[in-house]
Amino acid sequence: MNPAARGQLLILVSVAASLLLIGVYLAAGGSSYEPAKTQDPCKHRPWRNPEGLQEIIQQFTLSALDGAACELGVSRETLAQALATPESRERFTRRYGIGDAELARAIRAGLVRAVDDAEAAGALSPLVAGPLRSTLREIPLERAIELINDAESIFEQAQSFLGPAQSLLEQFLP
Amino acid sequence: MSAAPKPRVAALVLAVGLVLADSSIVVLALPEIYRELDTSVAGVTWVLVSFNLVMALAAVPAAHLARRVGPGRTAAVGLAVFAGAGLACGAADQLGTLVAARCVQAVGGAAAVTAVLELLPATVGSEQRAAGLWAVAGATGAALGPAIGGLLTELVSWQSIFLVQVPIALAAAVPILAVARHEAATGVLSAELRRTGRPHVSANLALAMVSAAIAGALFLLVLLLIEGWRLSPIGAAIVVSAMPLAALAGTRLGDWVPSARARAAAGAIFVSGGLGGLALLPKATVALTLPPQIMVGVGLALVLSALTETALAGRAPQAIHGGWTISARHAGVVIGLLAVTPIFTHDIAEQRKDAIDAGTAVILDSRVPPLTKIGLAQKIESRLEEERGKVPTIGSAFEPLPEDPEERDQVVQLREELQDQLDRAATHAFSPSFAIAALIGLLALLPIGLARRVEL
Repeated sequence: MNPAARGQLLILVSVAASLLLIGVYLAAGGSSYEPAKTQDPCKHRPWRNPEGLQEIIQQFTLSALDGAACELGVSRETLAQALATPESRERFTRRYGIGDAELARAIRAGLVRAVDDAEAAGALSPLVAGPLRSTLREIPLERAIELINDAESIFEQAQSFLGPAQSLLEQFLP
Repeated sequence: MSAAPKPRVAALVLAVGLVLADSSIVVLALPEIYRELDTSVAGVTWVLVSFNLVMALAAVPAAHLARRVGPGRTAAVGLAVFAGAGLACGAADQLGTLVAARCVQAVGGAAAVTAVLELLPATVGSEQRAAGLWAVAGATGAALGPAIGGLLTELVSWQSIFLVQVPIALAAAVPILAVARHEAATGVLSAELRRTGRPHVSANLALAMVSAAIAGALFLLVLLLIEGWRLSPIGAAIVVSAMPLAALAGTRLGDWVPSARARAAAGAIFVSGGLGGLALLPKATVALTLPPQIMVGVGLALVLSALTETALAGRAPQAIHGGWTISARHAGVVIGLLAVTPIFTHDIAEQRKDAIDAGTAVILDSRVPPLTKIGLAQKIESRLEEERGKVPTIGSAFEPLPEDPEERDQVVQLREELQDQLDRAATHAFSPSFAIAALIGLLALLPIGLARRVEL
């Protein structure tokens, strides 16, 4: 092979190798290998298999976070991080310029949306959902944060919210 | 000349390799220096930038000095300064001291490297062979630098990188001293002082651009491996040794193609293709970095030697034109580092936020019991606080694992999903910078295309 042809061949090989490498990596998902995107909290997310108390509690918490995040105009994940500790909450309210009253309103709205979703999914009877909604609309901020972090207590201590409906609880919770 | 040619050739080649390895040798030590000297990513970059910047500025004046006072004396004094500054680098306990010592090291290095090019033709018997040896020694040094630096950092300390260079530089200076003594005794310079011709603009411009791309490749890959994927320096050194090994193969390939322009073009395409592959990694797996690294290694061996030979071919004096190539290469390294550093530091911060959000989504959607989730979220939050500004490690937040087998499986799965999100974020954070480096490498094809056809 003459020297000029060798040079041309080398350039061809370099182009082919580059295109092959880039093509293979693209085909293997190289252009989309990035962290999962967060979803819009205002969009309704159907509950998955709402069977069993633990699963209902999980779904309830997620719905409550979605509802509150939608009210505040942030992602569910940002709100969950904010509510993890008092310090993270303070950072969040300072960063987004949100007062305690606004945060409380949003979390209450989130809890009420969770009750709506639970009711729609058949996880909560309308008889329980009604008084629960009324109670949640009035609870103080600290208690609301506690509930969004630990929805189990809503179901375990439902009698304290439900008052006269407590005797019906066991019948209406799955 | 009293020294036997072989030891002197070895010493001259060693001097070039040693000094040019120094432009990249600290790359793998940067994370260690970053932690130990308690500085920022942008700050620690100056350990690299300062050396390359001063090399770029000092190379041509150093070459003129070598022509005036004698290349033997200049090379010997340059190596002595390089060694002394290496000692100061090894003893530095502050970033400012380290950067200042690196600047002095670069002055000594510039003097040694350019003077060696003036000494080599007389030692090996031909200007063309001298230029080829000088170019290969430089490319090999630059390619080997990170792996050697990584090994020393892990096995000894980052300081040892500089301390080890001291005896090597002095050993390389010994055979050169004979020439220096001869110059001092006779007052005759090794080459006749001739009028300096114009530097080869397009070859030097292409050298600068390709060097910018290669610097970006080395610097970014090392940071990705150590800071992003949490490999140890020795682990990263083993991984990046694929590049110099491939460079050796590239040197052989170069011997088969006489056209310097074809080698330069193919080399630039290989480098850009490899960088394109690094920008599109489909998974955070070391094995997937190997094909791109091989391409970058082959490419750098082809393009650096071809462009250096082109820049030197038929031009006199060699030291001055060698000085221009050194200046172009190191200016390119500085441009590459300064171009990609702000981009990837910004992208790391962005990806860190995205990773935390994606990780939170994984925790929220997992089947782990709510109270376990809250505990985990709080531990992860405190890990994030501890490692503010870095890609966090989250493994310890999951210890101890729950005793209940079902819950333990759920937590282990959650940990894997979280780690996947972090890996995705860390890898993705480097993609735009790799892509920019690839583009710079491709742009080098313009001056290569414009270069006068010089068949060597």
